[in-house]
Amino acid sequence: MNRHLTAMALLVLMGTGAATAGTLDLGSDAQREAGRVLYDKYCAQCHGDTGDGKGIAADRLNPRPRDFTSGKYKIRSTSSGNLPTTRDLMDIIRKGLPYTSMPPWPQLSETELTELAYYLKAFAPAFADPDFLSEPLDLPEPPPFTEESAQRGSQVYTEIGCGLCHGELARGDGRSAPTLTDDWGDSIRVADLTKRWTFRGGPRRKDIFRAFTTALNGTPMPSYAESMSVEKRWELTDYVWSLSPGDDPAYDNVLRAKKISRQIDLQDLDGLFDAAEQAYFPVIGQIMEPGREFHPSATGVKVRAVYNEIDLAVELRWNDMRAETSGSNGPDLEVPRFEDDPERGASAGTARVEGSDDEDDFWGDEEESSGEDDFWAEEEEVSDEDDFWGDEEAEADGAPSGPETEFSDAVAIQFPSQVLSGNRKPYFIFGDGKSPVDIWFMDLARQRPEMFVGRGSSALESQGMGELSAVASFDRGQWTVVYTRPLRDGGVIFEEGSFLPMAFSLWDGFNRERGNKRGLTRWVSLFLEPGGKKSVTGPVVKVVLLTLLVEFLIIGLVRRRYRGGVQGAVPASRA
Amino acid sequence: MNLWVVLPVLAVMALLRLLKVGLLTWVLVWWGALYIGMRYGLAAPAPQSVITLYMSIVTLSLAAYVGSSRERTEGVLGPMIRLMSEKRYTPLLVAIALLIPGLAGYNAYLAAGLREEPPYFSRTVHPAPPPQITVGEREVDLIRSVNPYRELEESDPQAFEEHARAGREVYYENCFYCHGDALGGDGMFAHGLDPLPSDFTDAGVLPNFQESFFFWRVAKGGPGLPAEGGPWDSAMPRWEQFLDEDEMWDVLIFLYDFTDRTPREVGEFVNE
Repeated sequence: MNRHLTAMALLVLMGTGAATAGTLDLGSDAQREAGRVLYDKYCAQCHGDTGDGKGIAADRLNPRPRDFTSGKYKIRSTSSGNLPTTRDLMDIIRKGLPYTSMPPWPQLSETELTELAYYLKAFAPAFADPDFLSEPLDLPEPPPFTEESAQRGSQVYTEIGCGLCHGELARGDGRSAPTLTDDWGDSIRVADLTKRWTFRGGPRRKDIFRAFTTALNGTPMPSYAESMSVEKRWELTDYVWSLSPGDDPAYDNVLRAKKISRQIDLQDLDGLFDAAEQAYFPVIGQIMEPGREFHPSATGVKVRAVYNEIDLAVELRWNDMRAETSGSNGPDLEVPRFEDDPERGASAGTARVEGSDDEDDFWGDEEESSGEDDFWAEEEEVSDEDDFWGDEEAEADGAPSGPETEFSDAVAIQFPSQVLSGNRKPYFIFGDGKSPVDIWFMDLARQRPEMFVGRGSSALESQGMGELSAVASFDRGQWTVVYTRPLRDGGVIFEEGSFLPMAFSLWDGFNRERGNKRGLTRWVSLFLEPGGKKSVTGPVVKVVLLTLLVEFLIIGLVRRRYRGGVQGAVPASRA
Repeated sequence: MNLWVVLPVLAVMALLRLLKVGLLTWVLVWWGALYIGMRYGLAAPAPQSVITLYMSIVTLSLAAYVGSSRERTEGVLGPMIRLMSEKRYTPLLVAIALLIPGLAGYNAYLAAGLREEPPYFSRTVHPAPPPQITVGEREVDLIRSVNPYRELEESDPQAFEEHARAGREVYYENCFYCHGDALGGDGMFAHGLDPLPSDFTDAGVLPNFQESFFFWRVAKGGPGLPAEGGPWDSAMPRWEQFLDEDEMWDVLIFLYDFTDRTPREVGEFVNE
């Protein structure tokens, strides 16, 4: 099916009548030429010399760079299916698309942005066609946010079935999420609506409203401009907006473990972490060692920790589109080099379903929907997943039972194996020859942790379970894994009041992550906050008294020396 | 530099110069001005440990200056002694004697409310390279080596272009995830890293080093840093695992070409 024709047909069908207003805005030859110079320096490496989205870096990027020849742009002020305005293009370039490889370009001037926009327009003939002229929609300013509006929005969310793609709790884990593709046939990740800092069009309420109104062209995200009143769209906006803690992820550096008096028991986790403070750490791709992962599924991991006299417990939570609990995983699985990898260039989420057709299907322009059918068919057949979980994990049934995958989801926490000397740490990617790390690995298809000692990512050694224990559960788009280990038993020693480096790794089986192909964090710190209330008065009184004492001493000595009637001993001066 | 802080401080000091205040005042003013400059005057805030170190040097220097002659010593000690021994200053003395412990106590109160922070590691950002490294089979002399393709810039500009182009490919296949599309050290993964990736647009980076320095940094990456550089935290890969020597020299050509900078010449700091 010809995409371009579809777009045109859509435009005609919608009868926007845009051609009646405005004029073509294509810039002068000089402006486009200046735009070309900028484009060749800053843009061509991803978007390609001819604007077809096939630049040098394209194969390693997900989402793939925009193909400008299509004229399809996600973030616009124009109605669904329409071309963006010059101002829209300038805004996209200036702000970039968060959590994609399109960065913001604040360093470009208004003039430069205009020139670039004109040059981009030249790639798609439709921009020069008066029939496709599009006017920006009149997007209203947001009314004040209210909880009631967000409440009503939550009902709208359920009513119109947003959850089918975005998930019941909006974590990007809807039933159809794994099957979605964009207009180019590439797999596309549904937005995780609980992280508005990752929204491509921006985190503000007016940005969210715009997405409902204008749709994201080229993606399955439709427009609700026709089917939903402005008021309802604001309610939905308020609901989505209220799902995130802020515009900013507020990443942390330190995990503070609280001391508790209750027993730590993995069979009884209710309220165990209530007193603990949550830390949120950014997850990025492991692109430093061979077997690189350029686009990990996870962008962050939430962690809490508590400890008592005997044990430490650490809880990790992260959102995942689907739990992969079939197949297996390991920190030491071989990953081919990117160049030799048959999967290379595959988008995140092109999980190859065993027995399904060759992956090329997903890429072929014509065959967009056939792959999708395979997914669904597969999903009906597979129902034995529950076996992995046993009866006690019945609450995990909320997880969509995905098709069999070769690789399961997995997670690991990493600590230095030995007491650190000074500031020296082991290498943050699975340690090094001189300083090994303990890797608390857990294959989430197995429900059993395994400890590895790492002396570099190609030198891992399994140590079995040791004193380590862990449980995992998956609920509506979120993994929760809790590890416990005695404070001092086998490997790293946890000490009250001290800092310890700590790092995390996440593997998404759907994304075929295994071994070195994974998401990871840098070294962060675990701090075991001393128990008991910290007194403030004690140190303050001490400091005040000590200072007073020193003062009295000095004044006393000076007076004795200079005041005993020997006025002349003081050097006379202007004072 | 934060001019809104630095300029008022300088203005106050100029004013005091006109008022011809005593040496004691000057000592206090210098100490305070340097502290304010360090604490609030720098665009990128300096860590507390660095400020403490710097201020102790300042204190020692001021003490050395004051102690360097009898006149100066008396200029500073005289007013203090009179304050403590003469009856007419008693109210002022009492006020000061109460103010100091008050401030110290307040400081202790603030410190008690602060949360413990992880131990600070003062990393050397550009540690000295070893004299030579082995890349593949070849020994590379880091003191005298130049980029083998640098001379083409003069002798064969077209061939030079080719190397810059090849370097560009290497960069956008491998480097921009961290170092950014426009080389600003702000790539899509930079937010997850500490230390942050190098910003090649910074005037203090590319022009300040010989190309062989960066060749070392590229080939050996974070793990090749000496201990003072914090090799365990750096996410710079050992590119010798992925790239051949030519590709590494090419990407350096690209870095300088894109930012329009020139490397430091060999021998500028090397005594033959």
